[in-house]
Amino acid sequence: MTAIPSPTSSEPDAAVQVRGLVRSFGAVRAVAGLDLALYPGEIYGLVGPDGAGKTTTIRTIAGLLDPDAGTVRVLGLAPDDPRVRESVGLMPQRYSLYGDLSVGENLRFFRRLFCLPRDVAEQRIARLLALTRLAPFIDRRADDLSGGMYKKLALACALLHQPRVLLLDEPTNGVDPVSRRELWTLLGEFVGQGMAVLVSTPTMDEAERCHRVGLLHAGRLIAEGEPSRLVRELDSPVFLVRGGDRDRVQAVVEQAPEVLAASPAGARLKVVLQPGGTDRLAERLAPHGATLVPTRPDFEDLFLARLAAGGTA
Amino acid sequence: MSRRLPDSLVRVGALAAKEALHIRRDPRTLYLGLFLPLIMLLLFGFGVSFDIDHIPLAVADQDRTAESRALLQDFVAAHEFELKGALPDPDRATRIMAAHRATAVLVIPPGYAEALARGDTATVALLLDASDPHSAQQSLARADVMAQVATARVAAASGLLAGGGDGLPLSARTWTRFNPAGRSALYLVPGVTAYVLALVAVLLTSLAVAREWERGSMEQLFATPVGRLEIVVGKLLPYLAMGVVQVLLVMTAGAWVFGLPFRGSLWLLSLASVLFMLGMLGQGLLISVIARNQMVATQASMLSAMLPSMLLSGFMFPIENMPGILQFISHIVPARYYIAILRGVLLKGNGLAELHTELLLLGIFAVVMVAVSTARFKRKLA
Repeated sequence: MTAIPSPTSSEPDAAVQVRGLVRSFGAVRAVAGLDLALYPGEIYGLVGPDGAGKTTTIRTIAGLLDPDAGTVRVLGLAPDDPRVRESVGLMPQRYSLYGDLSVGENLRFFRRLFCLPRDVAEQRIARLLALTRLAPFIDRRADDLSGGMYKKLALACALLHQPRVLLLDEPTNGVDPVSRRELWTLLGEFVGQGMAVLVSTPTMDEAERCHRVGLLHAGRLIAEGEPSRLVRELDSPVFLVRGGDRDRVQAVVEQAPEVLAASPAGARLKVVLQPGGTDRLAERLAPHGATLVPTRPDFEDLFLARLAAGGTA
Repeated sequence: MSRRLPDSLVRVGALAAKEALHIRRDPRTLYLGLFLPLIMLLLFGFGVSFDIDHIPLAVADQDRTAESRALLQDFVAAHEFELKGALPDPDRATRIMAAHRATAVLVIPPGYAEALARGDTATVALLLDASDPHSAQQSLARADVMAQVATARVAAASGLLAGGGDGLPLSARTWTRFNPAGRSALYLVPGVTAYVLALVAVLLTSLAVAREWERGSMEQLFATPVGRLEIVVGKLLPYLAMGVVQVLLVMTAGAWVFGLPFRGSLWLLSLASVLFMLGMLGQGLLISVIARNQMVATQASMLSAMLPSMLLSGFMFPIENMPGILQFISHIVPARYYIAILRGVLLKGNGLAELHTELLLLGIFAVVMVAVSTARFKRKLA
């Protein structure tokens, strides 16, 4: 494999360095000034709703799109440098393997594209098949795999050349919870060996599995940091609404300006409020026989609060 | 494998082998590539014959003399015209032709025999249904020959021809070379070859590349170290191989079934075939790079390759007879030059001396198409 030069001196160990990234498609600004650094041995979660710019960011880092402005450096090099491609693995969001080829044929195709020596690669293939429990399906066509198995195959194909940087675009989209957990366990194992992983996801529970997350909204990062710390530092109070008629309560909550976000929590309603808005909402709810009960915020509350704040800012 | 191949070759090989797997998994491609040429060859060789005989003829004999009956006899004697009926009145001719009961009507006006007896020029009329201009043209040519036969007979009978052939007002002789029997099959095999190659090369390549875009696998492919040129070569190689098999198949079948001769040089034919195919593959690639969609690619292939290769190449209709604008367009249809080379090599035994212009033009087309399509093929998603 080609030697990768040492990363730039300013960021001694960043595997991916994105500065001021802007990319538009026609009139739509998919990414609007994004800064991001990804370090070896960490899983960075790019979290945001559909259309926030996650896929565009990942494709730009993978060298599949050129930025309109800003710089992207992967292992200190331009992302479309051929040397970078040997060290980057990509698992696109869309189905992108060959459906009419079998599991084994897909893996061997990528083994040859990366020009991996056969004996080494076959050992890795055997190991990846064992880890993903795909070994019994080696002759099955990719199109005939379940959603979870397909994603595991795609991950195996992206890991085959032991990349130093792994880019995963919504890897668990359409995957059942069991396979989802398996995928994350698999990722953890490779990250332990120093791989830098950038993973995009729209679901909050997955974001909590990342070392660091960046909340992406309208092509911009609106918050970044460790998920637990971000939640701890959330200054918006979070409450469960107890009592009262559910429909009436909901109507009040929807019209109250101090409510940043409301989401169902079991049979009740969970609300994220502007700092200092607690008393006002309590007064509004009192005539309907409903009270506010404090609750521990989770990552989803953080996200909704930030999104509401980011949307108005 | 003891020695390692250069990385680039490994990757091209991986892509070509994968493409071959796709073809194997979807045998429709293979049917299209291998059986279509044979079916077309047999269809055009046997079914679509441009040799016309038994042209349905009606006659409106207003003279009703022995001479007029003798003239009609001259027309039908060689079975080139077949008498379908007699009309009492020439005004019925149009209706008869509209009803497809005859495509030619011979009108012998009153006074035909008298004019002959006086030694004047006797005039008869032949009305032709030209809704199929090709048939009409052939009918006219046949009728000319019949008229000459009749003239000779009349002249001989009236003693004009006593001193030998000199006195005959008109004597035309045709001498057909290269395809003496005028058999359509020999004329059509080169056309079928070019058409099938154009179809398969452009359509299959454009589909193969468009499928990668459509299925999203291009994204995965671009994220690997594989180069632009390696993708192009790896994609085109299997279809180039298929094209070679097709040429061999059509030539062999043509020789075997229709007795197609091979009078020229094999290497010239091979070179022309490879150049033609490269041009077609490049065109297919260009279509898919622009379309990125199998449906659009199919339609664009039809319009830009299949139709011109059939209609504007001289395959079925002589280019000299086309309107000026179509003749002009036909200059950029590579099938035109390829068919000219095939006919030249196979039927006439032509060599480089006669065919270098066509070969050069094929080469230019191939270089331009491959260069433009490769340049347009970016390793980017947008």
